[in-house]
Amino acid sequence: MTIEQLTKEFEQASGQLRSYILRITASVADTEDLVHDTWLKATEKIDSFREQSSARTWLFAIASNLAKDNLRARRRWVSHVTDIAKEAALSDPGFFREAMQIHATSPQGQFEIKEHIAFCFTCIAKSLPLEQQVSLLLKEVYEFKVGEIAQILDSTEAMIKYYLHTGRSKMISIFDGRCALIKKEGICHQCSELNGIFNPKQRFQEEIVKIELAREAATAGKEHLFDLRMKVIRGIDPFTSNAAALQLHHLEQNRKVMEKYLEKDPG
Amino acid sequence: MVPTGKATTIRRTFSRETSVGIEIEADPSIIWALLTNAADFPRWNSTVLSIDGTIAPGKGIALVSTLAPKRTFKLKVKEFLPETTLVWGDAMGKRRYTLTKNTGGNTLFAMTEKIGGPLFPLFAKMIPSFDKAFEQFAGDLKKEAESILNANY
Repeated sequence: MTIEQLTKEFEQASGQLRSYILRITASVADTEDLVHDTWLKATEKIDSFREQSSARTWLFAIASNLAKDNLRARRRWVSHVTDIAKEAALSDPGFFREAMQIHATSPQGQFEIKEHIAFCFTCIAKSLPLEQQVSLLLKEVYEFKVGEIAQILDSTEAMIKYYLHTGRSKMISIFDGRCALIKKEGICHQCSELNGIFNPKQRFQEEIVKIELAREAATAGKEHLFDLRMKVIRGIDPFTSNAAALQLHHLEQNRKVMEKYLEKDPG
Repeated sequence: MVPTGKATTIRRTFSRETSVGIEIEADPSIIWALLTNAADFPRWNSTVLSIDGTIAPGKGIALVSTLAPKRTFKLKVKEFLPETTLVWGDAMGKRRYTLTKNTGGNTLFAMTEKIGGPLFPLFAKMIPSFDKAFEQFAGDLKKEAESILNANY
């Protein structure tokens, strides 16, 4: 591959690489650094690219290795991260002041329920072991095949299937127990609560039926509902969407809250 | 050991040994991942209520099983040979898991637990039979590993 070809491939993949790394790290600053490092590493290793995989797979492999190194020493989040972050936000007047400011002034400051669904998935998926989170993202969001994920993570297809199966099972069980969008008894109502704050004139029930995941909640099985959730996430780029500025601010808040929480929690 | 999924127990004065073997249509790596991911056990294994700790060489775990739900067994990982052998136990006994890849690409899974000691005859009658739980364990492991391998990803 020539440097011109690499530049072209990188440009094509960079949007997905950014969102992928953001979803793994939950940090905008780390994402920018790691995307840059991916480019540097790719140019360094250009001669070792043997076209045994596509350039996109190769670039994702470099990015995944860098992201894994970045996260290796950090603890995983907890599955009730959104409860902890909500409590912290409610006791921090500055958080809502900033969020309202973004909402009022940024062209990417809208609040949209489907974007919150994607945000919520990013946070909760960080409670999975890293290999499970990464495999799930690569398969369900970036649509790589199992064999390609095995190349990216330098693992076997059997292990990738294990990560996918276990990661999916855990996420399905967490959403089934928490998400009020898909289950009446769900304990998490943050979509509707935040929609009430940012879009007070909207009727939540009218908005929610526009989302297939919520529309099919009463009749579809858990597996299918998870697939519909993934469809929502695939349709959103967290850096360019209508709600990007608001959701990135929210993600930054959750990351800081989680870092503090994990520091205090003996584990 | 014939991998029928049926448990057998050999009783002696000072010990008791229960074994089960089953053939699983899956790579040893998947079975090994299932056997060494402590927190995930209760999801697929109907004989385990919880395992706290890390299943790694020399590490300690706290296991609660359906056989004695009020007791927490504090066990130590004594052997850990990836994709081949896992042994955990305490002063009373040891449980050994072995994985053997056969020529057809399947895995022979065997699990043996030996309990005993000088005071064993005093307690022997109070310890329930492991046979049913062993058969359930092996059956659950086979079902989970095969469903992972055959999942339509």
